[in-house]
Amino acid sequence: MTALTLGYLSFPALLAAIFLRAPIGLAMVLAGFIGLWAATGSPDVALAKLKSESFTTFASYSLSIIPMFLLMGQFATLSGMSRSLFDAGAAWLGHRRGGLAMAAIGACAGFGAICGSSLATAATMGRVALPELRRHGYDGGLAQATLAAGGTLGILIPPSVILVIYAILTEQNIAHLFLAALIPGLMAAGGYMAVIALYVRRHPEAAGQGVRLPLRDRMAALRGVWQVAAVFALVVGGIYAGWFAPTKGAAVGAAATGLLALASGTLTWRKLGEALMATAISTAMIYFVIFGAAFYNGFLALSQLPQHLTGWVTGQGLSPILVLAVILLGYLILGCLMDSLSMILLTIPILWPVMQGLDFGLSPDATAIWFGILVLIVVEVGLITPPVGMNLFVINRIDRATGMGRTYRAVIWFVASDIARVALLVAFPAITLFLLPV
Amino acid sequence: MALLGGAVLLMLAAMLCLSVLGQGIERLAYSDALAARAPGVAQALQASGLRQIGGDFELVEAGLAFAVFAFLPLCQLRSGHATVEVFTAPLGRRANLWLRAFWEVVLALALCVVAWRLGAGTLDKADNGQTTFLLQFPVWWAYAASLCAAAIAAAIAVWCAAVWLWRAARGVGDADADPVA
Repeated sequence: MTALTLGYLSFPALLAAIFLRAPIGLAMVLAGFIGLWAATGSPDVALAKLKSESFTTFASYSLSIIPMFLLMGQFATLSGMSRSLFDAGAAWLGHRRGGLAMAAIGACAGFGAICGSSLATAATMGRVALPELRRHGYDGGLAQATLAAGGTLGILIPPSVILVIYAILTEQNIAHLFLAALIPGLMAAGGYMAVIALYVRRHPEAAGQGVRLPLRDRMAALRGVWQVAAVFALVVGGIYAGWFAPTKGAAVGAAATGLLALASGTLTWRKLGEALMATAISTAMIYFVIFGAAFYNGFLALSQLPQHLTGWVTGQGLSPILVLAVILLGYLILGCLMDSLSMILLTIPILWPVMQGLDFGLSPDATAIWFGILVLIVVEVGLITPPVGMNLFVINRIDRATGMGRTYRAVIWFVASDIARVALLVAFPAITLFLLPV
Repeated sequence: MALLGGAVLLMLAAMLCLSVLGQGIERLAYSDALAARAPGVAQALQASGLRQIGGDFELVEAGLAFAVFAFLPLCQLRSGHATVEVFTAPLGRRANLWLRAFWEVVLALALCVVAWRLGAGTLDKADNGQTTFLLQFPVWWAYAASLCAAAIAAAIAVWCAAVWLWRAARGVGDADADPVA
């Protein structure tokens, strides 16, 4: 059997193992190990690679940005910033019908600006906003759907852990990817708010209405938000302006949110321990998948599968947009099953060469950034797609009283707005790219 | 163990921040603007020795590798590894217990192999005396630190595998639970 055949066989075998609940990183290590063994006829190559591969993967300066951002997100959840964001949103929007839900979306967007993970954003904002929404007479289904959808803003609005991984895999500038994600992220927040407005017009009983606050109180509520704005400006602005490299920016962000949490008095030794533990678990999970992906990709490169697949796809003379549509649809389906990060690590090394082989009338870097943002959005839609979306479960765990069925019916609206946005971004790459200095 | 790794992570973050501050001061000290307006301050800053921490990234790399190996056991004890459970859920509790036990055994084997090979890699680096580029500390120190953590990770993985085999054989508990109650 040729190495190429082995390469093509390894992928379905790998997926089968993953669907039989193998830890994803482990499945990739195994596929890479067995593949190398079979292709070279002895385990020596694979064993020799393992002498340094685990260490060099973990000892990567560019990847060290990930634990720093995770730590920053953990400190942010402790700092009480989530509460001030929601209070500010509620002060400005709460008197409208559905306004509190819109405030929750706005707060999620704000929290996304200091937290790079969807589940953490959904969990943190859910704890703050869900009880408030329920207290003001919001329907449980709408409230949960809102927060599950809002959680995806955590990853869309920079900083974003997944964009960091994508940037490393495709050798793109992290700052440019962050900048490109900003407009689509804000569009997502706007789209979700529009969905809420439409939803409460059709189901007026689903939302309550608060009292209108005088301007002075509104301005006061706004004051609580400055911390978030300052941290975001410092970290993302600093990385973009070139004050520091992305890894250092993330470390500065972690320190800044840590100090703010300390100042707010919520950072006790116990909480610090919990934050470190949560960071440790996510870090280990992500690095183990990265290690598996690195090892598997070593085998894939040997099998020359990516080059062969690229040659085949471009040789078919298909319209590039059609190929892109099929890829995005594939991500949408896989996204319902697998966590976004594993999926990106598993597929980008195979699909990115294919994308590079297609002509979209954009420069290579622009294509990479545009494709990255599109993939990021579709994999995040998987997080809120019934019946398997992870965010839905995270939110439902906070408010058990509401049945999942009601959440599913409401969240469909948000999914629809996501899909409309993806179509828009595919049709007009300029929306994603115009901020970039090309 | 994980807390030790966490402490390392905190120290690395703090060090990077100091390095950023140092870099800023260094840039200021050697900037034309400061030299023109306040040459005394510029000279004082230059003489202060406050600057970017040399070789900071080498420390980050070595420290982080140790931290990640130290985090692995916690991830396993809290069932933190990414898995897909949608397709196997209909198979029932017993089948899922066996699947979990099977993969835990494979994971334990894999981590033992990783630790064994890392040991071989450490010996290689100790033999050839390779040092890092800027700080000139022997690369095998970093390898050895990671090896200690990797060995503990492997040992805990073996223990987890035993726990899951026992649970699967007895049919106790649930496949989505943690290995420690």
